[in-house]
Amino acid sequence: MTPPILEVSGLGIAFGGLRAVDDLSFRAERNAVTTIIGPNGAGKSTVFNLISGALSPRAGKVTFDGRDCTGAPPHRMRTLGLGRSFQITSLFPDLTVFENLRLASEVLEPRSRWLLPVSRSPIALARADALLSRFALTGRADELAGALSHGEQRRLEVAMAIAAEPKLLLLDEPTQGMSHGDTEETAELIRSLAADLSVLLIEHDIGLVMTISDHVVVMHQGRKLAEGAPAAVRADPAVQAAYFGHA
Amino acid sequence: MVEAATGPVADPARGARPIDRIGLAMRASHLLALLLLAGCLVFALVAWRTGDVFYLRLATEALIFAGLALSVDILLGYTGLLSLGQALYFGLGAYMSAVLLRSGWSFAGVMAAVLLGATVVSFLGGLIVSRVRGVYFALITFGMAQVAAKAVYNTRELGASDGLIGVPIVKIALGFTTVSSDSPIGFFLFVLGFMVLLYLALSYLLDTPFGRILIAIRSNERRVPFLGYQPQRARLCAYVAAGIVAALSGALYPMLRGFVSPELMSFTTSGNAVITVVTGGAGTLVGALYGSVILTALRSVIGSWTSHHLIVIGLIFMAVVIFFPRGLIGVIRARLESWLVRRRTR
Ligand SMILES: Nc1ncnc2c1ncn2[C@@H]1O[C@H](COP(=O)(O)OP(=O)(O)OP(=O)(O)O)[C@@H](O)[C@H]1O
Ligand SMILES: [Mg+2]
Repeated sequence: MTPPILEVSGLGIAFGGLRAVDDLSFRAERNAVTTIIGPNGAGKSTVFNLISGALSPRAGKVTFDGRDCTGAPPHRMRTLGLGRSFQITSLFPDLTVFENLRLASEVLEPRSRWLLPVSRSPIALARADALLSRFALTGRADELAGALSHGEQRRLEVAMAIAAEPKLLLLDEPTQGMSHGDTEETAELIRSLAADLSVLLIEHDIGLVMTISDHVVVMHQGRKLAEGAPAAVRADPAVQAAYFGHA
Repeated sequence: MVEAATGPVADPARGARPIDRIGLAMRASHLLALLLLAGCLVFALVAWRTGDVFYLRLATEALIFAGLALSVDILLGYTGLLSLGQALYFGLGAYMSAVLLRSGWSFAGVMAAVLLGATVVSFLGGLIVSRVRGVYFALITFGMAQVAAKAVYNTRELGASDGLIGVPIVKIALGFTTVSSDSPIGFFLFVLGFMVLLYLALSYLLDTPFGRILIAIRSNERRVPFLGYQPQRARLCAYVAAGIVAALSGALYPMLRGFVSPELMSFTTSGNAVITVVTGGAGTLVGALYGSVILTALRSVIGSWTSHHLIVIGLIFMAVVIFFPRGLIGVIRARLESWLVRRRTR
């Protein structure tokens, strides 16, 4: 039996006196959408930072694809097959949309091509082209990323996270600030992605969470409050009190 | 309208193909570089016909300092790192060249040694400075250059505050001809060719995925590691490349002037190179070349009117920064670039 794509156990980090993530354990199964929910400041993004290497945990273990990756730096996690998007859009604003995608796809090329002209990176160029049409950004390809609308920037943010064909994709509130139509499309997209890869999602839109998640982890004040199938989690009285009560 | 994702690279000609803006910008730089090259050749012809020596020597010096400016531009314009100590490598190249030439080394031997020396020293320096960014990078590069300049200043074997004089004339064998460093026209053309090669090598390097990573670092370094790259390593490579370019340029200096002095390693030299790049246009490569020519010309012309030429140049620099923040050539290149884009999209 293959191990889960991601397993974290006893994960912990503190900022000053604040235990942002505290003794957190959960798994993300392969080809599934696992969603982390929780009120603002629950520590969700910090979990992403700990998994993707932006932060090193003070306690606990991160096992990615059967390998101990605790404290591995971001570029290594990317090489092992982890892609992530950011809650606060993080693009290359003074490069074009196409160039943003090409950069994100470049790691698909053998390193021997890194010192050849960019036009000799056919895999990355083809990948960037494919992403443009998949994310309906073809018409904006030559625009500077900084000049895109908020919704388009969010789409580009997700496109860059999947550009290098990760095994596990971490999406931090991908639909935040998106129009209703874009949110629906993104939900469909995430669902379709789960056919080839695994998704770990942070999402506030409860309706969306209920429809697209296979598994839900609820966080509250850095700790895991509950986990399980979407419907079961929603019915949990503790979750209702701590989370739905607030919202 | 959307093309299939298979094999779209083969035909970049028509339709929905995205435009490589950075590539087009580089092409705009090439056009301006060609113009500069033509200007230099015309100048050489006129100077040669009139038997001028002074201006040819001055122009050669401008080109040598253009190499130092190119090196600053790799860091400042592409990677977003302000080096206030690039003269360290320029001076390293100059002193190595002077010492070796005085011991009778050949041109090729000197350049090979400088290449090696600069690689080693800039790698070691890079290990230190690639850990930091922003103002820390500026301060550490400044500090390292100050330490090196002070060390040279206090080393009697290197001529201490007087520098080294009496660097012999060197014969440069090019296969088809031999250039002597004391021939004003010959050495000018040689240095011109050398700078063309440096420029071409750098524009090649910056048009590779590696070069694009440097640009990405300038644009938003925090995202870069999540794309699978190591910004620190890329910064180290950029720093080494810049060190080599500065040192190779510096190595030509004693061939031109016959001496070296600690001034070549000083903050004045480093600072001038930054001013040159900003005046010409950071992140364009060609701006560094024009900047050096423009500033050398200004210094010489204004210097012949008034001994307060630094004040005038300071004021001009301020005006450029205020009115043309992209630099004099940066502005023109941006125009040229949008013209190329329009031509492409039509
Ligand atoms: N680098 C940091 N330094 C100090 N405190 C931090 C840092 N990152 C997060 N925190 C704090 O840790 C807590 C958890 O933050 P986190 O961003 O993980 O919450 P979240 O669940 O993603 O919230 P939101 O839904 O608002 O995005 C917050 O109180 C936050 O202020
Ligand atoms: Mg968050």
